[in-house]
Amino acid sequence: MNKKLTASICGLALAAGGLALVPAVMASSHREAPMIAEDQLVDNTDVYSFISPTNPDRLVIVADYVPLLLPQSGPNFYRFADDARYEVHIDNDGDAKADWTYRWTFENEVKNGNTFLYNTGPVDSLTSANLNVTQWYKLERINEKTGQKTRLLTHAPVAPWNVGKRSFANYEQVALQAIQTSANTTSFAGPRDEPFFVDLHVFDLLGVGGAKTTDGVNVLSLVLEVPITDIASGGVRPTTATGKKSVVGIYASASRPQVRILRRHRDSDDFGQFIQVSRLGWPLVNEVIIPLKDKDNYNHTDPKDDVSNYGGYILDPEVPKLLNLVLGAGCAPTPNGGRMDIVGLLSPNGTAAADLLRINIATGQTNAQSHFPNGRALTDDVTDTLLTVACNNGSAIGDGVNANDKPFSNVMPYLASPASGNP
Amino acid sequence: MTLHRLVPIVLVIAACSSKDRRPPPPPPPGAPQLAHGTQADLARELDDAAHRGTWQEVRHRWQGQRLRWSVTRHAALCSTAERCNVAAFPVLRPAQNGWMPLLEFAPGQWDALVASCGDRADCDVTIEGTLVELDASGERATKLRFGDVSIASGKLASR
Repeated sequence: MNKKLTASICGLALAAGGLALVPAVMASSHREAPMIAEDQLVDNTDVYSFISPTNPDRLVIVADYVPLLLPQSGPNFYRFADDARYEVHIDNDGDAKADWTYRWTFENEVKNGNTFLYNTGPVDSLTSANLNVTQWYKLERINEKTGQKTRLLTHAPVAPWNVGKRSFANYEQVALQAIQTSANTTSFAGPRDEPFFVDLHVFDLLGVGGAKTTDGVNVLSLVLEVPITDIASGGVRPTTATGKKSVVGIYASASRPQVRILRRHRDSDDFGQFIQVSRLGWPLVNEVIIPLKDKDNYNHTDPKDDVSNYGGYILDPEVPKLLNLVLGAGCAPTPNGGRMDIVGLLSPNGTAAADLLRINIATGQTNAQSHFPNGRALTDDVTDTLLTVACNNGSAIGDGVNANDKPFSNVMPYLASPASGNP
Repeated sequence: MTLHRLVPIVLVIAACSSKDRRPPPPPPPGAPQLAHGTQADLARELDDAAHRGTWQEVRHRWQGQRLRWSVTRHAALCSTAERCNVAAFPVLRPAQNGWMPLLEFAPGQWDALVASCGDRADCDVTIEGTLVELDASGERATKLRFGDVSIASGKLASR
């Protein structure tokens, strides 16, 4: 066998091996682990956080779930699971343990069960009698140190699915009615345009070339805007940007009851404590750093244990080697001391290293400073940023897709209107 | 020889310093005697358990043992006596195990670690401690916690 043929075969073999990881690398946290890929409704996809562009005293947090949704996915359009907990956790003292949790729980309502239609006529408001299938939620704020729960919203409406032009003459006007404010906290829940941009042609033998493959699909979004003093340690916004308490660490999760019993003649019953089945702080950590054998475990564990559980992978991630083997990217070898540069990014201001999206909340911080890894703006090209960090050879690399197809807004809910099922 | 076969061997060679080949300290009363007690031995048993489901046996054999391991202390990941994880393996390109043992120090031993390592970002140390927690089940990420840790020897890592 000649050397050229041998090299080609080896290259194909390596490429095949690399495919298991590289597509996930390119897809944020969409279907990133085997178990969660089979439980789509509780699959975290992305977390964003930034100082409000209109009020620097407020922090915006976006937690997206349920990846890659086709707009025309009727008649049972996508919605949040009504037997799950969706949560955003905030560490405000640098120990990687949650100090505050915001929890959304959902309930469904069907006005008329004698039809298959989501809506029985044109819908011009959230209270329209024609809106047959609706979803509502409760939003709670939990002090993790005391266990005290405060109910912020009760029976708040979820924005409906953008069924199509015959159902919604002005969809966005209806959807924005789902923005709710209570106790100075503003919340939105519902479908939005998928804000993550990437070339998913990587699944076809690494065929990245700038194709905007996440255009035109939707995601389910939870958007929260809170006064920074609500989440800062001791309720006081730090005056200097350098201390542990000047950054908050954020991650989103979803949990399901431990036991489900299927009934032959009625709906199933759920029992037991809630078990975390999905979580996300930084984009791409579970994809880039965690190997297949621990991906499901990662979704079950908490950030405070990340170093104990996965520190070895953080010190020596696999992706630069794969980029070299599969794409000949010329990534730098892992230094003998490990990737302490990545550890440093995961532990700003001396905080405990963990997969938390950390953002500086000190006075004077503005929206303009809220760019990954200091928070994450909707416009941030994190795929390129993280591939460049992982490769670590001084050159920028990326997937060729650098922006979302739709512009983002400067006001709640910040994300673009979801793609219509019948434009 | 395939890379798959080579990596564990390199792992074993790299992880086993001459000090590590010394017999482990005697087991506590009632605990089984370990013939080999290095981190590489444990990693091998955990890999085996993943295939054979022998998690309980591995936990029984290892939990409670007094062990002497050579590890690397990265200052950023072991910055205080209350927050100290150490690397059980050298950089293997890529890592085969994610776990980094959490250390709880015997009185005065945190200071001994700091004295051994100085200001270096990383340094190699030999620790002796009791494996008080081995969370290994195949259903969760493997996690180790050592208690009553003392510093047997330390040197600056040759980076």
